Order: sequence, then C-alpha cells, then structure tokens
Amino acid sequence: MLLNRESAGKRWKTRPDGPAKVTGSLSYLTDLSVPGMLHGKVLRSLYPHARIMAISIDEALKAPGVAAVLTHRDVPGLNGFGIVTPDQPVFCSEVVRYTGDAIAAIAAETVEQALYALSLIQVDYEPLPVVTDPEKALLEDAPQLHPGGNMLHRTDYSRGEPEQAFEDCAYVTEGIYYTPRQMHAYMETEGGLFVPEESGRLTVYAATQHGFKDRMQLSRILAMPEEQIRIVSSPIGGSFGGKDELNVQPYGALLALATGKPVKIHNSRRESVTAGLKRHPMKLTMKTGMDRDGKLLAHEVKIVADTGAYSTLGGPVLNFATEHSIGPYRIPHVSVKGVSVFTNNGVSGEFRGFGGNQSIFALESQLDRLAAAAGMDPWVLRRINLRERDDPGPLGQTVLPSEGPEQVWRSVAASPIWLRKEQMDRGEIKTPPSPWLKRGVGAAMTMHGSGLGYGIPDPGGGRLGLSADGKLEAAFSFEEFGQGITATLEIMLTEMLGCHRDDLRIVIGDTDRTPHNGSSTASRSTTVAYMALKDLVPRISEILCRIASLAAGLPASELQTGPGGVWHKVAAGGYKKRDKKTASPLITYAELAAAAGEAIQLEADFHFPVTPDPVVGGHYLYTATAAAVEVEVNLLTGAVSVLDQYHAVAAGPVVNPMGYVGQIEGGSVMAQGFALFEDVCFSEGVPRTMNFDTYLIPGICDISPGFHIDAIQELPQDDPYGPRGIGEVGSVVLAPAITAAVHHAVGISIGKLPISREELSGILPDLLAEKVGTP
Amino acid sequence: MSEYIWRATVNGRKAEIAADPSDKLAALLRDDLGLTGTKISCELGRCGACMVLLDGKAVNSCLVMAYQCSGKAITTIEGLAEGEGLHPVQQAFLEEGGFQCGYCTSGMIVAVKALLDEHPSPSAEQIKEGLSGNLCRCTGYGGILRAVNSCAKIYTS
Ligand code: FES
Ligand code: FES
Repeated sequence: MLLNRESAGKRWKTRPDGPAKVTGSLSYLTDLSVPGMLHGKVLRSLYPHARIMAISIDEALKAPGVAAVLTHRDVPGLNGFGIVTPDQPVFCSEVVRYTGDAIAAIAAETVEQALYALSLIQVDYEPLPVVTDPEKALLEDAPQLHPGGNMLHRTDYSRGEPEQAFEDCAYVTEGIYYTPRQMHAYMETEGGLFVPEESGRLTVYAATQHGFKDRMQLSRILAMPEEQIRIVSSPIGGSFGGKDELNVQPYGALLALATGKPVKIHNSRRESVTAGLKRHPMKLTMKTGMDRDGKLLAHEVKIVADTGAYSTLGGPVLNFATEHSIGPYRIPHVSVKGVSVFTNNGVSGEFRGFGGNQSIFALESQLDRLAAAAGMDPWVLRRINLRERDDPGPLGQTVLPSEGPEQVWRSVAASPIWLRKEQMDRGEIKTPPSPWLKRGVGAAMTMHGSGLGYGIPDPGGGRLGLSADGKLEAAFSFEEFGQGITATLEIMLTEMLGCHRDDLRIVIGDTDRTPHNGSSTASRSTTVAYMALKDLVPRISEILCRIASLAAGLPASELQTGPGGVWHKVAAGGYKKRDKKTASPLITYAELAAAAGEAIQLEADFHFPVTPDPVVGGHYLYTATAAAVEVEVNLLTGAVSVLDQYHAVAAGPVVNPMGYVGQIEGGSVMAQGFALFEDVCFSEGVPRTMNFDTYLIPGICDISPGFHIDAIQELPQDDPYGPRGIGEVGSVVLAPAITAAVHHAVGISIGKLPISREELSGILPDLLAEKVGTP
Repeated sequence: MSEYIWRATVNGRKAEIAADPSDKLAALLRDDLGLTGTKISCELGRCGACMVLLDGKAVNSCLVMAYQCSGKAITTIEGLAEGEGLHPVQQAFLEEGGFQCGYCTSGMIVAVKALLDEHPSPSAEQIKEGLSGNLCRCTGYGGILRAVNSCAKIYTS
C-alpha cells in the first residue's frame, strides 16, 4: 500500500513521548543538573599520531575550582574500551593515535574553570609519522599503529571460479568506488550526568544504544561489579549508531568516583566531531561480468575500509559490507576480499546502514554500468538475476524464505517515476527549456540484514506484568533516540491487549529496571518486541483473566483484557460493541493488582533469529528495499536536486505508520547528504570540518517535493517473525539511485561520493559546444 | 563579582540574573533559569536548536548576548502555549510526526511560529526561507512540512 498520513487513517497514532517533546518539557540526559555538581572536560590530543613524552598536571591541580585531574594513572581497572576489542585507551599513556584521543580529564566547579585548567596541563609530544592512506598503511614500511599491525580485520568469501568465469562473459565492467566519511550529526552532542550514590553505587545518565554493554565496559574500567552500576540511557537526541560505543562515559564515571560528587559533561560540537565516530570511508574495486542474455556470471570485489585509530565495530562493519556487496542476486562465481585498516583518521564505526551503504552503492553502480554496456534496461537486468524465495543468502547461508526482493522490484517497475523514465526515453516528456538543466531517473535495490548476524551474541526478550499500582508494565532494555520504539511498543501492546494507552507503563533505557534484551541497533528492536510480546501477551492475559474470574465468579474463558481492566466477552465483539459511556470493565487493572497481592512479572528470553549455518556475520532476516528517484542536474553549478522519490519497502506488517514514514523519510534525506555533500574532510589526520558551518547536512531547502512509500506488508505464510525493522533501509539505496539518475540525465557514471559538483559542471563547455556545433 | 544585572521578561515573567553582559542568552535560559527546552547543538548560529522569540522575532539564542536582549521580551518553547493545552503549532507537530528525537523540535516549533505570525498562509518558498536556519537530522523534514501545512490551514481559518 502507498503509506502516508492519509492512507494510515486511524492507525496514524501520536507518539507517547510527543507531548513532552513538543513542549520542551522533556529532560534529555544532557539537560540534567543537580545542586553541587561539578563540570567535566576532557583533554584531547594535539596530534593525530605522537609519542607522549611527559604529562604534567601540577599547575592544573592548583587552578581555581578544580576538584580532580585524572590521567592514565587513575584508572583502577582496564585502561581501554571498545565493544569488541577494548583497544582504545581511556587515557593515553604512551602514544596518541588520533586527535580525539584523551589524555586527561578535569572536574571543576564551572565549565570555564575546567577549560582553563585543561590549558594548564603540560603534555610533551614527539610527533610520529601520520598514517592517512589505508592502502599505504598495509605496506611493510608503514608506521605500525597497534601491536598487531595496521590490519584490524580481513574478510574472504568465494564460491565458484570467478577468474575462469570472466572468460565466459560477454560483458565485463570494472569500477572503483569511493565513499565519504559521513558524520552522524545527531543534534544532541554526547554528554550526561554521573552520580555517585550514597550506597556506593554509580548512576550513569548518558546516551548509548546498548545500556548493558556500557555497564559491562564501565565495570571493566572502574573495577566495579556490574551490579554496582546503573545506566540510564534514554531519552537521546539522535544517535544513528554514533552513540553505540562509549564516548564520555569513562570520564564522567571516573571523575564522579574520584570527587565523590555528581559530574556533568556535555561535549561541544567541536569535541563531538573530534572524538566521535564516523562512517567508514571505503574504496571498493569491483569487476562484474555477465553473459549475452544479461545473466550475471562472475563478481569480484575488493574492499578497503578506513577504520581509523581503534577497532570499535570496524570488524562487523566490514563483515556487513562484504555480505552486502553480493546483493539479492544469483551470481554463481563470486570472490569478495575485504580489509579494514587502522589509520590516524579519527575513528570509524557503527552508522545506520552499517557498511551496507558503501557496498550497495558500488554493486548497484556496477549493474547499471553493465546494463549500459549491453544496451539493456537496468531494471530488467536486475530482474533477470534476482534471487528467488528459497534461495540461500548472499554468503550461501540458510536464510528465512523471502519474496521481498521480487516484491520491491515489481513495485518500482510499476512506479510513476519509473514509468516517467520510460516516457523520457521515448522522448514523450519535455525537457526543461534551459539547456544546462538536465533530468534523469535512476533506481537501486537491496536486501538489508537485520540483527547482529551469525557468531555474535544477540539476546532478545522482554518483560510484561501488572505493577502494584495497577499499570500494565512492559520493560525492555531499548533506548529511545527518536526512532519511535516507545510508540511501537505502545501500539503493539494496545492492539494485542485491547487496553488503553493510559493503562500502560513502558520502561526502557535503564539497566536497573529492565531485563537485558540486547541493543537498540541493527534494525532489530521491532522484531524483538514483536517476538517477546507474542509470547508474553497471551500469558499475562491468561493470568489476569484467571484472577478476574475468581473475583467476578465468571469462567475465565468468558473474559478478556480491554481498556481499563478485564471485561466480559459479550457475545459477538466484546466490549467494542457496547455502549461506550456506560460500559466499564468487570474489574479494573488496579483492582486486579490489589487482588493479585503482588506485582506480576513475566519474562521472555530468546536469541534473535540467526542462520543455522556457521557463516560469521551472515544474516537470517532481511528487509528488502528499492528506490527510484528523479533528479535535475544543473550543469552551471553542478548541483543535483532530487525532484521526486519512491521507496518500496518489504518489511512485513506496518506497526507504527508515523514511525515507518518518518524512518524512511529521515533515512532517505540522510542518504541524500551522503550522496551529494557530506564528508568530514581530514588533512594529515586532522579533521577540518568541525561544525555545521563547514560540514553541511541537508536542510529543508534540499528535500524533494515528491516522496512516496510503498509499504509491502505481505509475508510468506507462517512467517513467525512479523514486522521487520525499518530504521536503516531508508538510507541504503538512495545514493546509487541518485547516481543512476545523474547518469541518465547527463551520461556521467559517478564513482566517488559525494558527487563532485566540479565534475558535473565540467561537462557544460563540451555540451554547449555540441549544441552550437563547433567543428 | 560582576555588577551587571540582566533583566528581561521571559515567558511573561520578570527575570533578573546577576550575569556577565557577554553571557549567551542560551546559557542564561538553560543554566540560570532552568529552561532546558531551549537546546544547544552548534553554538554558532547554524542549526536553530536554540531558537527563541525575542520581541516576537526568531533568534538563535546561542548568538545573543545578555546585553543585547536586556529589557526585552523573550519567549521560549516553554512559554508558547497559553494555559494547559498545546499551542496549535505544537499540536500540529504532535499529530503530523514533525519530530523524532525531538532535539531540534523546540527551535523548529519556535521558527514555525515566527513564520506563521509573519505569513499565516506561507508559500513553499516562504516556508523554505523561514525554516532554512533549522536543521533536523531525524525527520528528513517531511513531518515538519506536514505540520506547517496543517497549521497554516488553522491559522488562516
Ligand atoms: S545552537 Fe544556536 S544555532 Fe545551533
Ligand atoms: S527530531 Fe531529531 S533532529 Fe529533528
């Protein structure tokens, strides 16, 4: 169905976190303050690569208002963090590897005092050669950034005999693709409040996408049992993967424990850009061949990812890029070799799309180039090679049967934008009168994995119960960073239980109050919530109806949960058919809670669906998506405007229409930035675009007037997993659709993102010369 | 200690703060008055997260210094609605999904109010112009435009 505000009708629900957000009354974690708190600031490295010869904090300690100055000597536990490999020092002691590396942290009575004291810390550096090019970093004589060398991770997947198969190809295309160092650019920079409790425990109010992982990491650093640490991690002013890894938490926690006082840290944008994660820039070299009929035969891929100074999730990102460089296509002969390389260019890590964005851009561009070489329609070429329902996954692994790729393919083929392309090609549409304005249409598709993939613990679950005060309480360890998981939970619960939104209490983002059901990443939360509630709702209903049956003297089979409490199932239709004004539940949830005598709590516990085949990083569940766009290229300025876009998304039933539309709209505009202008520029390991004055993200003037979403809800029969996550798919196919449209408009095949305006405006002289017919 | 006293009317109430004349309005609001609905994000006038109304005009409070706004009337997101309910712009953002994380939302709603006060039925160009100083990383602006258009209907009716 075309999903929008109108078509959603009554299912378009306002968000539970909405009133507090539109009135400004919601306290984000960086808004918190308590009397007597101190302010923390972190001293970051002056150099992208240097040896630390000496650190002197004596002057800083004497500065006014200073309560603590900490360095590597003051870390009681492990001086390192990193979700997979803790190779990023909390405080550097010998070497710094990027300009975000921390050397010291200060707590003072005011921010100004903390900043002044920072300036008094003396660090003697011996600058070392800077490693900026990941390919050169792999050469033998390159400076080594880590004890294990400069290679973080390698992937190597192959099937068939690609080299030989290229000989049988009628068409072979070779391309090199470069993708930018995109910044998450969440509007709320990192920060929070760190409170040492009288009980000896520590409460951390700071954004993350996996509270329990932060708790584990902080417990290692602080040498404190996990139970002694409470992580409160919602609400968050945007994350997109960028706050998944620890950022300011180690400093806030150490300063709070050292001073015994609450400490607040809130990064400036400059600090955020310097220290924070970015999307991996990748160089993808692809050779792809097909036979005369357009059947793909061989595909060879080499990926070099610039992972920056530390590991964080650089390994899994490369795994994901490897898997998604093969796509939803049948290709008999494949070889993919990837390498993720340490450099001094900041730190690259987790970011919406997770390495898929880069691979999909390259792969889809290859298919367009093959189609152009063979004079074929690019969308038909995809159809010829599309996987079928029961095919194995991209890495040959068992995956859940899915018709998604075919569904989204068909949707785009029949979309108004694609039909317009056909009309353009037949010359039936007038081109803009100005010869420097050129229009074109392009499309791209993929199947995007959800969940963390084979080989990584990926716990699911949740808790549902009736609290002592009569609220139906659902508790999940998710975080709300805008994606709308609270709204999704509320809608699922009200629909499954028949209750009212006011009957609910949804608890998230607090390690003390929720069970551990994994991270809020990898488009996994919606599926986890659905699987958990499918298990929990019948169980709680049964218990509630049983208690109500005792109180009301009616058989439990005649009862059901509804708004306000448990109701009698009146013949045909239950409470819904009764007069709303006079109808009331037989027994309210508050009465039920009193009758139960104690809080009822049920838990679900499972592992996120995973492929049975031991293929590391391979996924089992996917969301298929395709997008078609129409662009206008202004050859005078080289600017590309997106005029219209159409997204087909096969993610199962739409739970939360407002959230669904918002995720595709927002993801797509973020991808537009990736395609057209976003890139954190570095020179010699130093970031140069430090704020929104030089790092431009799309504004309201950049968005396309047309935007259409086809939400394909049909799943194969007996599909047990219900709605799939859609947090990432809006952002993964737009870039190759835009470059395909640019190619359609002006005949230039783009290999590097963001698209260079100079490259596009550079063709104008030739074009004009053609027009006036110079010899 | 500074002898400067910043005086202004904030959301209809008199405010008096011993401040420095060069203190940023954003800091006075957030740190001194506890009005944390006004957000900070870039602190150089490029994102609009800190937007408030100064004598009815939208300004980035991260760029306004205390002495520049003393004696003036300031309206923040907290002061937009009269009484208990929501201001029509807030209501429209709520209903149309004009926010996700909500961090740009205070400034965005203030900007929309200023826009509609000036152009009750704004053209597409006027909307772009009016909101070009407000960045939102989450929504892609779709829900924000829906909200503006639905308010424009209310404003003009
Ligand atoms: S914080 Fe004031 S404009 Fe960005
Ligand atoms: S709602 Fe998150 S930045 Fe606008």
